[in-house]
Amino acid sequence: MPLVPVPKSTFVQKLKRFFMVDLLKGMAVTLGFNIGALTDKDSVAGKGIYTEQYPKVRPDVAPRFHGAPRLNMDPETHDTLCIACNLCALACPEDCIDVIPMDVEVIVAGKPRRKKVLDEFIFDTSRCMFCALCQEACPTYCLELTQDFELATYSRAGFVWNREMLEQGRETVKYES
Amino acid sequence: MLFALLAAPSFIDSLLLKFFSEPTVNYVIWPFIQIGLVVVITTGWVAYATYLERKISAFMQARLGPMRVGPWGLLQPIADGLKLLTKEDFIPENADRWIFFVAPYIAVVAAFIVLAVVPFGPDWAVITDVNIGVLFVLAVSSVGVLALILAGWSSNSKYALLGALRSSAQMVSYEVSMGLAIIGALMFARTLSLSGVVGAQASNSIWFLLYQPVGFMIFLVSGIAENNRAPFDLPEAESELVAGFHTEYSGFRWSLFFMAEYTAMVVVTAVATTLYLGGWYFPFVYRLTEAKGYHNVYVVISLLVFLAKAGLLLYLYFWLRWTLPRFRYDQLMDLGWKWMLPAALINIVITAIGVTVIQGLDNPSGMHTIKSLSAGLGLTASGKVIAIAFGIINLFLTAGVLSLINWRSRDFNLKKQRRQIRLVDLPKGKPAVMPASPGDVVSEARP
Amino acid sequence: MKDVRTMHQVEIATTKNALLDAPEMTLNMGPQHPSTHGVLRVVLKLDGETVIDLDCDVGYLHRGMEKIAENRTYTMIAPYWDRLDYIAAVSNGLVWVETVEQMIGLDVPRRAHYIRTILTELNRIASHLLWLGTHALDIGAVTILLWAFREREEILKIFERQFGARLTCHAWRIGGMPNDAYDDFASDVKRFVDNFPKRLDEYETVLSENRIWLSRTVGIGVISGEEAIAIGLSGPSLRGSGVAWDIRKARPYAAYADMDFDVPLGENGDTYDRYLVRMEEMRQSRRIVKQAIDNLPDGPVNAKVPKLIKPPVGDYYHSIEGPKGEIGCYLVSDGTQQPWRVRVRPPSFINLQALKQMSIGHLVADVVAIIGTLDIVLGEIDR
Repeated sequence: MPLVPVPKSTFVQKLKRFFMVDLLKGMAVTLGFNIGALTDKDSVAGKGIYTEQYPKVRPDVAPRFHGAPRLNMDPETHDTLCIACNLCALACPEDCIDVIPMDVEVIVAGKPRRKKVLDEFIFDTSRCMFCALCQEACPTYCLELTQDFELATYSRAGFVWNREMLEQGRETVKYES
Repeated sequence: MLFALLAAPSFIDSLLLKFFSEPTVNYVIWPFIQIGLVVVITTGWVAYATYLERKISAFMQARLGPMRVGPWGLLQPIADGLKLLTKEDFIPENADRWIFFVAPYIAVVAAFIVLAVVPFGPDWAVITDVNIGVLFVLAVSSVGVLALILAGWSSNSKYALLGALRSSAQMVSYEVSMGLAIIGALMFARTLSLSGVVGAQASNSIWFLLYQPVGFMIFLVSGIAENNRAPFDLPEAESELVAGFHTEYSGFRWSLFFMAEYTAMVVVTAVATTLYLGGWYFPFVYRLTEAKGYHNVYVVISLLVFLAKAGLLLYLYFWLRWTLPRFRYDQLMDLGWKWMLPAALINIVITAIGVTVIQGLDNPSGMHTIKSLSAGLGLTASGKVIAIAFGIINLFLTAGVLSLINWRSRDFNLKKQRRQIRLVDLPKGKPAVMPASPGDVVSEARP
Repeated sequence: MKDVRTMHQVEIATTKNALLDAPEMTLNMGPQHPSTHGVLRVVLKLDGETVIDLDCDVGYLHRGMEKIAENRTYTMIAPYWDRLDYIAAVSNGLVWVETVEQMIGLDVPRRAHYIRTILTELNRIASHLLWLGTHALDIGAVTILLWAFREREEILKIFERQFGARLTCHAWRIGGMPNDAYDDFASDVKRFVDNFPKRLDEYETVLSENRIWLSRTVGIGVISGEEAIAIGLSGPSLRGSGVAWDIRKARPYAAYADMDFDVPLGENGDTYDRYLVRMEEMRQSRRIVKQAIDNLPDGPVNAKVPKLIKPPVGDYYHSIEGPKGEIGCYLVSDGTQQPWRVRVRPPSFINLQALKQMSIGHLVADVVAIIGTLDIVLGEIDR
């Protein structure tokens, strides 16, 4: 099965070649796109314009997207869900997570007990490769990679996120138009 | 109001005559006003040609193009110009400083000076009507190649050097066929003045494109090649030579090269329009000239017609650039010397025979083919039919002769380009199965 | 390399010797050059514009992947494998997880195999589209690049919805997949499959019969089948020379044993044949995706994976047919949680070896076309 129509050296083929039919066919396609850009609204199946006007129009990020990290909190008590188990730090191939626990005294069933809670959480987004292994390791669905994808900062230090940033979300400047 | 605006030249003329003598006004002040207008308008047109190219290429590629500066990015050329003006003028170490400085100016001057003889319209819309206008255009535009060679040589960069070598070979070889292609049209025009060529077409109410289809094609292809535009953009082939001859240029000097390139494009489209598409001439033009008091309306409409025709050719430039792949250096030379040059020569021969036949048929046979010889070769309807027939015969004859000349060439010989691939359904092998038990591995352990 | 005054030395030498007996010129193409596909440095020795000698200099993107892998657990290595050939991250990820799975004897569910097949084939199309765009761009047809990227974008959108990332997506986990297919997966893939042939026809209209394209590619970079085997070419570069070898057929992995598809073979082993082979491979990939999505089985997508992955002591080699050729992974385990040694068989690196043989005697412009047709990715060459 020949895939490319094999040119036969007939007189018609030679004439076609002299009058540059092969080039004109290609030019018809580009002209079609030029007209399509002005008239066609369908950019996926048709010939419309595919551009996303990014800062003006926010892109639709998939729900599973791995973006900026976040430490989720209990929606009722606003306590952190993190139990300082360190599994995320162990799962991280890049060693970019530091979980710093502290011991607190709690009264459980009338008896004082020591309990390990989260003190500080350091997440170095400059080294993170967003593989989401930490998210999968987290037993309490606390650490999550969100849909926020604008992670640029002005300094290297700005890439290192502490617990507050991870819980509240970073203040990002949203540029209009 | 509109009438006052269109009547302005005569009004300014009378105003100027109050201060200066008539020769001064006619030969000094008016030309300066014209030159100023042409330079300003052409620069604007060139700036917006870059915008148009970006927009058109974007549309062809399902993109939007410049959108951020001004509505629909309309201020983009101005922003670009400002950016380039403020950039550092970087000179590479060990560059030949003076030549490096001068080269962009040569490019710009060579490109702009041609505009002096281009008839944008009748009457005051042409700066000066030199009686050897066509020669002037060819001569000056070939100076442009100097700029590229000097720029490439002085940059002290190998990419720039290769670009300069390519451009010199390319421009020299395409100038030949470009000059020869014009001759056919000039046989019908009987003059070298560009205004005269337009006048010949106007008084015959025909475009020379109909008499000279081959000549037009050769002229256009050679023009594109001479402008270093795709698919002939070898001197700056960005995927091979980074940026060719202007690799080392930056800032304003770089933008001068770009300005020269786009101006040269505008010039070639303008000359092609003048020679083959009837210049500013449009149908029923004489209705307007006969009506009194509308002289300036007539000139302005002619100007717009000219711009529209040149604009269409400019669109062709963009269209070709964003569709076709680039030629290789040797293939370009092949095309120039083995295809364009013979075609141009055949075109001259056939056109000469055609003109002779038309002249020979005029009286003895009782056919009336020639109307007058005052403005070009004035043909009657039957004469036009014969000329157009010769044009079409020329197309096929050129095809035949070129295929004879190049019958060995791979570009033309379809048998040598016959290609196909096969589809085979290979037998399926043993799947890459899991080892039967976890310990069943290929060989003994190393450590 | 000599200093910046080399050019002047050329000039002096030219005037001393006879005019036509000019010495060769050394041209450094890369690492910063528009068409070396990253940071490849090619040292060309030119006679005029004809290449008389050529030397590749690689390593500008070396990250020590294989050494890193020795200090990570088996699960952790998977995302690194995406960074080898970042254009085909899904295929690269697959070779790692399949190697480990086969070493520890995991039985991956059928549904996971099918989804893996669909997504690696989509990745093959994406990789070939990027190759098409850049190859056409190298030869000067700029518009194809943007069209190809538009289609690739559709695939990347499916990747983003499925894996959560577009390029280096960390697609697979040992024993299956991190998530089942998302809700609209089948309809998204079907829509792409329906739209794609029309697009491919458009590209072919612009390029396949175009005389400039033909004269730029036919007879350029010819390599015969025997030479190709001797160098170790694989993938479309090998099949362009007419060697019938496809790991999807010869040693089927994932769900390829169930799929029905043909292997396109070139005849002359030149750039144009490789172009045709890749274009046809995209059509065949689409055919595979269509079959797989129509027969997608139900069921779980994950096998039962032990908490600690400790392959038995020994070594194992597994390879798959990546978009650029045979991606292989040779793994030596010492029975601990970390591999003792990992070696990648990089298709681009081995395909690049053919560059010298292919380019000598051609012009500079052809070297660019040949680099394009070999379809190299520097992330994988340098590792």
